[in-house]
Order: sequence, then C-alpha cells, then structure tokens
Amino acid sequence: MTSIYLVDDHELFLSGVRAELSERFDVAGWSTDVDAAVDGIRKSRPDVVLIDVHMPGGGGLSVVGNIHETNPDVRFLALSVSDAPEDVIAMIRAGARGYVTKSIDPEALADAIERIAAGDAVFSPKLAGFVLDAFSDTVPIEADPELDQLTPREREVLRQIARGYAYKQVATRLSISVKTVETHVSAVLRKLQLSNRHELARWASERRIV
Amino acid sequence: MSTTAESNRDDTPDRLQILRGRLTRSNDDRIIAGLAAGIGLRLGIPIVFARAAFVALTLAGGFGIICYLVGWLTTPDEREYGSMIETDHPPSTAQKFGLALIFYALLVALQALGLWFGAIVWPAILVIFGAALIWDRAGVESRRRLARLARPSDNGTRRSKTQIFFGAALMVVGIVVVLASLETIQSLGPAAIAVLLTAAGFMLLFGPWIWGLVEELTDERRARIRSEERADMAAHLHDSVLQTLAMIQRSDDPQRMTTLARAQERDLRAWLFDPAGDKTGTVGDGIAAAAGKVEASFDIPVEVVVVGDRPIDDAADTLVAAAAEAMANAAEHSGARAISVYVECTEDAVDAWVTDQGSGFDLDTVSDDRKGISESILARMTRAGGEANIDSTPGEGSEVHLRSGPR
Repeated sequence: MTSIYLVDDHELFLSGVRAELSERFDVAGWSTDVDAAVDGIRKSRPDVVLIDVHMPGGGGLSVVGNIHETNPDVRFLALSVSDAPEDVIAMIRAGARGYVTKSIDPEALADAIERIAAGDAVFSPKLAGFVLDAFSDTVPIEADPELDQLTPREREVLRQIARGYAYKQVATRLSISVKTVETHVSAVLRKLQLSNRHELARWASERRIV
Repeated sequence: MSTTAESNRDDTPDRLQILRGRLTRSNDDRIIAGLAAGIGLRLGIPIVFARAAFVALTLAGGFGIICYLVGWLTTPDEREYGSMIETDHPPSTAQKFGLALIFYALLVALQALGLWFGAIVWPAILVIFGAALIWDRAGVESRRRLARLARPSDNGTRRSKTQIFFGAALMVVGIVVVLASLETIQSLGPAAIAVLLTAAGFMLLFGPWIWGLVEELTDERRARIRSEERADMAAHLHDSVLQTLAMIQRSDDPQRMTTLARAQERDLRAWLFDPAGDKTGTVGDGIAAAAGKVEASFDIPVEVVVVGDRPIDDAADTLVAAAAEAMANAAEHSGARAISVYVECTEDAVDAWVTDQGSGFDLDTVSDDRKGISESILARMTRAGGEANIDSTPGEGSEVHLRSGPR
C-alpha cells in the first residue's frame, strides 16, 4: 500500500483528507507546521507527501526544498487553495511532481496520489493552463529548444488536460496510449523544473526561489 | 514640566553635575540652533520666553542677533556633550521677577547707549511677551488644556485664563501704541483700527485653540473613515460569507453545499483581490463572470482555465456570450458533475472549449424548439465572423468549440 504523509496548517482540512484517504492509503503521519513536517517526513519516509502551499514558517516550499536535499526519493503533491500561477510554478520548480487545488474531489485526489507514487506527474487543468501560458509561442532568443519549448504533441496533451479530460480520455482522443500521455506530461514537468524561460524566471524570482 | 534625565550615555552622578552646570544647545527643540531652548531649560523658564527675549533684544539695534551668534559659537551642541539636564529647581516667582527686572534693565541700558530702533520698540516688546505668555499656555503640550477653556467649570483653567487675559492685555496695549504711532493706519479711521485690532487679538488668542480643533477634526475624520471601512467589510462578509455559511448549515444536499461554497469562494476572491470590481477588462474576466453565473444558477462547478489572456473586444465579447450559453446548456441538460472551460487567446484568434462529461446528445435529434444551440451559439458565432463546432457522443459528454477571429 502506498504510504502518504499529510502537511497542512488547517487541522479541519487535514482531518477531512485523512478520513477520505485512510482506506486507500497507509497514512504514515501528518503535521501542521513546517519544522514538524520536515522531521516527520524524514522519520517515516512516505512514498508521497501531500503538501499545502501556504503555511506559516516558509510554507510548503521550504519543506519540499529541505526534504529534497536529504530524501530525493520522497515525492510531493502540492495541494492548495491558491490558484496564483507563481505559487504553483514555484512549488513545481522546487520539486513537487504535481499540483491540485483543494476543491478536487476525493476520488481524483486518490488517483493523483497513485500516479505520483508511480513516478508520473499530475497536472490539474489549472496547472496545464499555467504551463501553456508560460511556454507560449514567444520563444526567447537564446532558447534551448530541449528545455524552453514544448513540442506540438506536448502542447496538445496539455490542451486536452486543460479542457478537463483525464489522462485516459486524453489518450483515446489523441489515439495514443496512456503511457505515452504520461511520458509527455513527465517531459513537460522536467522542462518546467529546468527551463530558464523568462516567464518562469520571473515567477520564480518573485517568489525568491532561484 | 517634569525633570527628564534621559541620556544615552551612562551618566555618573559627577558627570550629571557637570552637565547640569553647563549650557548646551538643545537638539530636540530648536528653531535655529537650539540656543534659546538651551537657555530656557537651563534657567527653568518656558523656552518661549527665552525666544521672546532674543527677539526683543534684536529690536534693540540688533543686539539680540549678536548675542545669539556669540552664544551659538560658545555653547556646545548637546549631541556632543549629552543632553543637558533641566534644572531641578524651577525659579520662584521672586526669581522670575528678578530675571524680568534684569532683562528690563538690560533693555533700558541698550536704549541709553543708543542701540535702539526707535519708538516702536517698547510697544513691540510688549506685544512679543504678551504673545509669549499666551503661547506658553497654548503650546503643543497644553493645547488640550486650552481646548478645555470652553468648559469653565474645569479645574486648572483659571490660572491659564488669568495668564491669557494678562497676555492679551499686554498685547492690546502694545498693538494700540504701535498703531497709534503709524500714521498710515491712523488715516484709515478708528473703525478700521478697531476691526484690525479685534481680528489680530482674536487670532492670537484663539489661533492655537482653533488649530487644535481643526487637528482634532482631522483625527476624527480619519478614525471615521477607518471605522467605515471596517463596517463596509463587516457588511460585505455578512451579506456574503455569513449568509452562505448559514445556507450551507441548512442544506442537506452535498452538491448544493459544494456549489454554494464554490460560488462564495469565487465571490470572496474577486472581492479580496480586485477591490475596484473591474471584472470586464479581459476575455478571462468575462469567461469567469459567465462561469460564476452558471455555477450560481445551476449548482454545478465550472472550472475555468485561460491561456494568453488579453483585453476583450467585440468579437471576443460574442465568444464569451456564446460560451456562457454553452455552459448553461451543459449545466442544464448534460447531467455532468462538472463543466470545464478552456480558453486560449492567440495573436489573432480566441478559442474556447466548453466541455462536459455528461450524457451527451445526438445533434440531429435536438428539436428545433431548443433554440439555445442553434441560435445562441452557432448563429451568433457565424454572424460575428467566427465559428462554432459541437461535438457530442451520447453517453460520453459534449464539447463545444468556439473560435473567433480569422480562420
């Protein structure tokens, strides 16, 4: 069973999510602040950490950063009420493998956790939109095509996700396998984390993560 | 006046003793170099009198200026020597009287020496000290007390009243003498003089008080604006958030609760992050507003994603209206749990997809009386030079693709 760890400073939300997920997952622990989260995650070594973006004491960003230094195998799924692109992009660039909003329904959340545990990326429609926005057609002059541009196929996959389709539906609609969809999304995630595109740099510098 | 012994240095009693004897220029309370303030603190008399003395001496052939310059050069700044300690023993009335006599004698001596600007000096000095007396009562610290003048029953006002009366009398005498010696004003006639006198006396007497009132009014206004803002926020929260919470508590239907919560969240976000209420600026704003309406009317979440948002124009306006219709259609007929709207703005076109994963339908079997699709979506887009495609499979959901701009 996939083990998960929950980090959120809102107790109420935390207990709600815990109740929803405890049947499908092994809840290794939870904490409500940054320091406790870093300790707890290092101790319990979960497969996936559900992390709130906005928390006192540095927020989810500092937890992801801290854990990635010592336990790079722990995977993060960012969970937040914030739809602000800079928050989302900052979390992904810090190392989170996916981002969903807190309004996500429990079943979709569970699917997202499974996907992250399997090493794939989870793009909500919102995140797909942000990425398309950030990698819009205006390519910087000194672009690294490997990292600073999306391939037409990746773009098409993201568009489908932004339109609300699940990976399986995207695969059917584009006549490709689910595995291929996952490959495309993981490639986009990598570009998102490594690209130097100025939009990303701007978002990142606003959040002081670079 | 309280005795203050505030100093940043660790003053030993010895050092305090030395400082107490030494005259320094005040740094905190200065107009030119702080010399008058230093003298005032040193002698234990109100600083305003020290200042008045310098002005009075200046009328004596400019002697005051020379005194001031010499004092400036020979007295250290308190910043170099640490702040001077105010004298522990304020002078008694007799001592004050003595100081006044010495000062008077000095003036008489200067007049005898010929250091004098003429007949106007004595009345001018009367005016200056009269004003000083009043100012002493009406200084910044005692403005509050002055404001209390309006309530005669208050304790402690009698003394200042006497003082103010005395000061005013001095001034009136001085002013009358000054004016009497000025022939130009005399020629204006006694009525004009009386008016001038009254106005000047009124300003001098009540100026500080009026100023205090004005300041108090400003403070009150500021406080009122703050409390109005708070009331505004409370009213908004009451109308929106509290109402919604109450509705959620009374609702048994989870779907309804979710929709209420989402609509409230959207509303609160808009209110918090866009206080100007400007929600019609861009294509994304238009779509978000339309989605909000559909959410509110049909109890169904609408997820909106906008890429490359740009200012709205007529063509995009049509597209937003058509998208709104498509959303309403999906909400009403599809039975889906959610609707997705994806908008992509490029240089010369705007694309929108309204997607639901509900029951879907066969476009050919839609009866003609359902004008929504044919009129509001297809015809509307075509008229505006755009296009609309509807793709629906029974049992799998529908997608409406709208495109405005060049094909």
